[in-house]
Amino acid sequence: MTKEKSKHNFRSDVLPKLVTVGPVTVLLLCLVLIPLILVGVMSFCRTDEYYNVVYKFTFTNYAKLVSPDYLKIYMQSLVIALLTTVMCVLVGYPFAYIIARTRSRKKKLLYMLVIIPFWTNSLIRIYGWRTFLGNTGWFNKLIMAIGISKEPIEFLYKTGTTVFGMVYCLIPFMILPLYTAIEKLDDSLLEASSDLGAKPVKTFFEVIVPLTASGIFSGSIMVFIPCLGYFFVSNILGGGNTDMIGNLIERQFKSANNWPLGAALSIILIVVTLLLVKLYQKLGGDMDDLGV
Amino acid sequence: MKNMKKRIAAIMTTACLAVTMLTGCGKGSSSDGKPASAGELNIFVWTEYVPDSVIKAFEDETGIKVNVSTYSSNEDMLAKVKSESAGAYDIVLPSDYMVEQMIGQDMLAELDFEKLPNFKNIGDSFKNPAYDPGNKYSVPYLGGACAIAVNKDKVDKEIKSYADLFDPSLEGKLVVLDDFRAVIGITNKACGYDLNETDKTKLDETGKKLMELKKNVVLYDSDSPKSALISGDCDAGMIWSAEIALAMEEVPSIEVVYPTEGALIFQDNWCVTKEAKNYDNAMAFIDFMMKPESMVMVLEEFPYMCANTEAVKMMGDAYSSNPAKNPPAEAVAGGTYVGNLDSDVLEIYSEMWTKLKE
Repeated sequence: MTKEKSKHNFRSDVLPKLVTVGPVTVLLLCLVLIPLILVGVMSFCRTDEYYNVVYKFTFTNYAKLVSPDYLKIYMQSLVIALLTTVMCVLVGYPFAYIIARTRSRKKKLLYMLVIIPFWTNSLIRIYGWRTFLGNTGWFNKLIMAIGISKEPIEFLYKTGTTVFGMVYCLIPFMILPLYTAIEKLDDSLLEASSDLGAKPVKTFFEVIVPLTASGIFSGSIMVFIPCLGYFFVSNILGGGNTDMIGNLIERQFKSANNWPLGAALSIILIVVTLLLVKLYQKLGGDMDDLGV
Repeated sequence: MKNMKKRIAAIMTTACLAVTMLTGCGKGSSSDGKPASAGELNIFVWTEYVPDSVIKAFEDETGIKVNVSTYSSNEDMLAKVKSESAGAYDIVLPSDYMVEQMIGQDMLAELDFEKLPNFKNIGDSFKNPAYDPGNKYSVPYLGGACAIAVNKDKVDKEIKSYADLFDPSLEGKLVVLDDFRAVIGITNKACGYDLNETDKTKLDETGKKLMELKKNVVLYDSDSPKSALISGDCDAGMIWSAEIALAMEEVPSIEVVYPTEGALIFQDNWCVTKEAKNYDNAMAFIDFMMKPESMVMVLEEFPYMCANTEAVKMMGDAYSSNPAKNPPAEAVAGGTYVGNLDSDVLEIYSEMWTKLKE
C-alpha cells in the first residue's frame, strides 16, 4: 500500500483506511466480537439466589452440559436437523434444477416464488400452518371432503410436524446455493455425457451431482445450522414436546433465568457450527458459497 | 423488458412513498388534539390481559402516550426488566410470588396512595396480601386459578382433580401452561404433596409422576391455551380460569373443574419499577385501572377473578355466577399460591422440566 503512494493524493494511507475499513470494523467489533466475548465470559460465571449473574469463575455450567438429559436433547436436535437437511435436499434439488435450467421468462417468476415468502415474518407463517393443519383446519376439511379420511387426522404437535415446519422455513437457504451451483453447469459437459451414451439417470448421478456438490454442501450447512436454533418452530408446531438446543438456550435466558448456563449452551452451539464449517472446508467447500 | 423494469421500479417507489406517508399520518393524528406535555408511560404486562380499548380510554382521558410491551411468564418479565436499560418500563404486572421476589431484589418503587383514591374499590379480602404486607408496592388487578378444562363431548372419564389429568385415557389430549412452576406444582398436588414441595424424596416421586403426564400433554402453551381447546386439537387441559371461560363461550361442551386437591391460584398486581421515569403517569394509570368502569371494560374481554368489588357489582350475575369467570369462594380459599423456592430446589424443578420436555 505505502509503495503506491504516488497513485493517490493522500500523504498517508491512514485516513483512507479508516474511512473504508473503519466503519465495518467498528460494527463487527461492537456487534459480533464484544457480545461474543461477553457470552464466553458469562459461560464461566454463576448466579446468586435472585438469578443475578455473579462474575466468579466456575466450570459448573460446562459440567452440567454433559448431563444425560441434555445429551438426549442434543441428539434429538441433531436428528431433527439432519432430517430437515435431507428433506431440503430432496425437495430443493429438483426445484433449483428446474429454475436454473429454465431458459424462458418463467425463470424470474420461479425465482421470485422462492423469495416472496421471505417478505412475511416466519413466525406468522408458522402460526398460519398451525391453524391450517389443526383438527378443524382447512387441510383436514379438505381431506374429509375428498373422502381420504372420515376423522380429522392429527398432524399437529408431533416431531414430524416440527421437521415439516423447519423444512418450510429453511428451504430457500437450500435452493439458492443449489441454484447458483446448477446455473454454473457447463452444457457442453452434459452434451458430451449423452454423446458418449450415458442415460439421463447416469448423467445426473455421475456428472451433474458431482459438479453441483459444492451447492449441496453449502445449502446443507445453511440449513443444518439455523435448524438447531429455530426454537419457535418446535414450540409452535411441535407443541413444545420435543426440545432442541435452541429451546434449551431460550429457556435459560427466559423462564429459567440462568444466563451463565445459557451462555455455555450457546458456546457449545457455536463450537458445533465452527466444526461443521471446518469440515465443509476440509471437504473442499468454497467459503464464498456460504456467503461468509 | 427495460420498460417493464422501469415501471416496476416506479410502482415500488410509489408504494414506499405511500407507506412512509401513511406512517407519517398515523403519528400526526395520534399526537393531535392531546396536550403535548402529558408525556409517556411504558407498561410491561401479560399477553391477553389488558385490553387495547382500556389503554385507548386512558390515553384519551389523560393525553399520556402509553407504550405496551407484553410477556407470557413472570420469569420472562423478570429477565427482561433486568436486561433492559434502567427505567425502560414504568409499570409491570407480576404475580404474587414474583412481587415478593422483586421486592426482595429492590426492584419496585413504593406506591403513593394519595394518588390512588380508587384503591377504595378493591375488596378487603384482596388487600394486605402475604407477599406484600400493607400493599406498599402493589395493588391487585386480576387473578384466578389454574383450573381444569374438559370437553365433555370428547372425554368420557369424569375429571375432578389434578390427579385425574394423569389418567392414561387422556393420552395425547392435554394442553397445559408452558410454565414449569404450574405444571410441576400440580404434579406435586396430584401426588398429595404441597404445591411448592421442597422435600427431595417427595420431589423424586413427583419426577416419576411427571413422566405419566408427559404422555398426555401434546401442547405447552401460555400465550393462548384456549385456542387448542376451541379448535379441537386438545380435549382437556390445565389452563387459566378465564381462558376456560372464553373457550366455554365458543364451545359449550367445555366445562371448568376446580380440582379437589385445591387449585393453584394466582393474583396479578400493578407495580411500579424502582427506576421508573414516569412515576406520576404510572400512578395515574394504576388509579385509572382501579376505576370500576375501566375494570368492567377489562372483564368483558378477559373475564378473570376481579379484585375490584365495585366492578364485580356492575358486571352483574352473568359474570358473578359463572364459575370460570368468578371462581367460587371455596376454590379460592382452598387454593395455594406459587411460592419462592431456594435456588437448589429450583434447580431440581428446572431439571424435572427439562426431562419433561426432552
